[in-house]
Amino acid sequence: MLARGAELLVDGLARGMILSLLGLGITLVFGLGGILNLVLGVFAVVAVIVCSFILGVVPELLVAGVGGVAAVALFALVVDRSVLSLVYEEEGEDRELLGIFVTLGLSLLFEGLLFVFFADSFFLESDVPSIDLGGASITGSSIAVIVSASVLFGLIYYFFNYTYLGIATRTVIQDETGSILCGIRPRRVQSIVFVLSAAIAGAGGILYALDAEVAPASAFELTTFAIMVSIVGGVDSIRGTVAAGIVLGIIITVAGALFGSYLSTVTLFAAAIAVLIYKPEQIS
Amino acid sequence: MNVTRDRLVTPLVFVALLAVPLLFFDPSTTYISRRFIRVIIFAIFAMALNIIFGETNQLILFMGGIAAVGAYTTALLAQYLGISPWLTLVVGALFAGTFGALVCYVAARRQFTVIVLAIVTFAFQMIISEVLVGLRDITRGSTGFPFRGLELPAVEQLTGLGPFAVQFYVLVAIFAAVLGVYTWLKRSKYGLAFAAIRQDEFAARATGVNVIRLKVFAGFVATFIIGLVGPFYGQTTGLIIPSLFSFNTVDVLVLIVLVLGGLRSRYGPLVGAAVVIYIDNFLGNFGQWRTVAFGILLTILFLYFRDGIVPSLQSLVDDREFPAALSGALGRGKSK
Repeated sequence: MLARGAELLVDGLARGMILSLLGLGITLVFGLGGILNLVLGVFAVVAVIVCSFILGVVPELLVAGVGGVAAVALFALVVDRSVLSLVYEEEGEDRELLGIFVTLGLSLLFEGLLFVFFADSFFLESDVPSIDLGGASITGSSIAVIVSASVLFGLIYYFFNYTYLGIATRTVIQDETGSILCGIRPRRVQSIVFVLSAAIAGAGGILYALDAEVAPASAFELTTFAIMVSIVGGVDSIRGTVAAGIVLGIIITVAGALFGSYLSTVTLFAAAIAVLIYKPEQIS
Repeated sequence: MNVTRDRLVTPLVFVALLAVPLLFFDPSTTYISRRFIRVIIFAIFAMALNIIFGETNQLILFMGGIAAVGAYTTALLAQYLGISPWLTLVVGALFAGTFGALVCYVAARRQFTVIVLAIVTFAFQMIISEVLVGLRDITRGSTGFPFRGLELPAVEQLTGLGPFAVQFYVLVAIFAAVLGVYTWLKRSKYGLAFAAIRQDEFAARATGVNVIRLKVFAGFVATFIIGLVGPFYGQTTGLIIPSLFSFNTVDVLVLIVLVLGGLRSRYGPLVGAAVVIYIDNFLGNFGQWRTVAFGILLTILFLYFRDGIVPSLQSLVDDREFPAALSGALGRGKSK
């Protein structure tokens, strides 16, 4: 019983860290520029597909993973410089609405293309062996996820606290006009952070694929999960999103084991609705 | 000038609609009849969205879910009570409308922005989809159940029309009723209040407009309509299944229909639905390229063509009739 509980907790932690990464992808872009990026799940899936193709040539997961993330970053840069530039021309609520519709259109476009050209499902194998901890069997994929996600969180923490660009990003999140007065160019920061968010989502997708099959249809699901996590975390709070992801990951894993998977998904959406009703002013 | 044109356009539209079954419906090829029925259903969905989003700026993204609430309530209640779904149709619509009104009430009370309401309703859409699949004992899960109850055999016999033609006329009647309600709303003090809310909510409140009541009212009307048409939508395939009511199959299409046809225009939803369903059927043979095409359409529509077909045509016609720059400015002012 205790061992089973520990297994669930570790699996939930691993799942939660993935959710945190995906949620960060939403939080960074929405907090920074008011665009709810519905293409995020596509970035995650594309990273997995590129990663699995590289694995066919170079059988080293770390190399392939970095390759997948780099490819997605490039992809995101193209999207940002082309279509999103038009969205950023609007301001306030107009930009938020246009952002939703345009990224929804783009996500349909890319999902459709994924369905046409890469209809298979993809699964990535980690070489980490399962270990036995006091009777609880901890799966290799969970260990791989927790270790890699921890490293990524460390990097993200370093970026936002100790680099010029990271601090500039936080400045723009807090006050776009103020940041201009400080000599920061918001549009440039927005571009860089959009690429960064896609890379984080790509990494999240690759970690997700260590434990579950990823198919083009996963893109929509991953986007919705990411949005819900980001909302529960407070939408423009980086720490809040990480915490929300981990807590929700553990809750839905435990709820899924106890009540079945559909109720655990319902829990996630219900939590987001509850948070929005309680604190609607956080998105404004 | 607009009123005279309305007097011309409205009879023309309805004569055309009434002639559709006589001209195109053929008992041997049901898919053509189904296509027209889909057009009118999506036109009604888009008119409902026009009332809630176009008029009061409340973006709802659970239209598929609301249609499902209407359809499942109507069908399951009729089965449970052993009565005709014609009797439970209004119950389903009322249930859907009450749910929609409740969501709008909370949203208005808590002063949700457009985005917050969009996300909340989207989350509800996901929950409804999950519950429909998950509550297998009641909803029969993802395989669904056959549904054909909303037919009028007596009328079919009396008039000699086929079931699809009768179905189409019933939907045209609902379309007419919704159009009537919308026209009345726009021309009454409600239309004025809606415009005030849309332009500046705080100023509207300051001048004595009861914003919460009006938003809830618009929300109720819109979701009631969607819930009412939901069972007919289920009947088009003869099978009520959760995937029929998903975000991608309903909400995305309705959004495209409304924006393409023209937000806040009376006949925009019908024109938009005709074009979108035609494209949808045309692309149906190309598998997932259909998704690609709609993605491109949605993106381009919102970036470059937010005026829609009907308002654009109107201002074009106005410009030609009255060459003076003044009337062009007036026409554009009106379509805004």
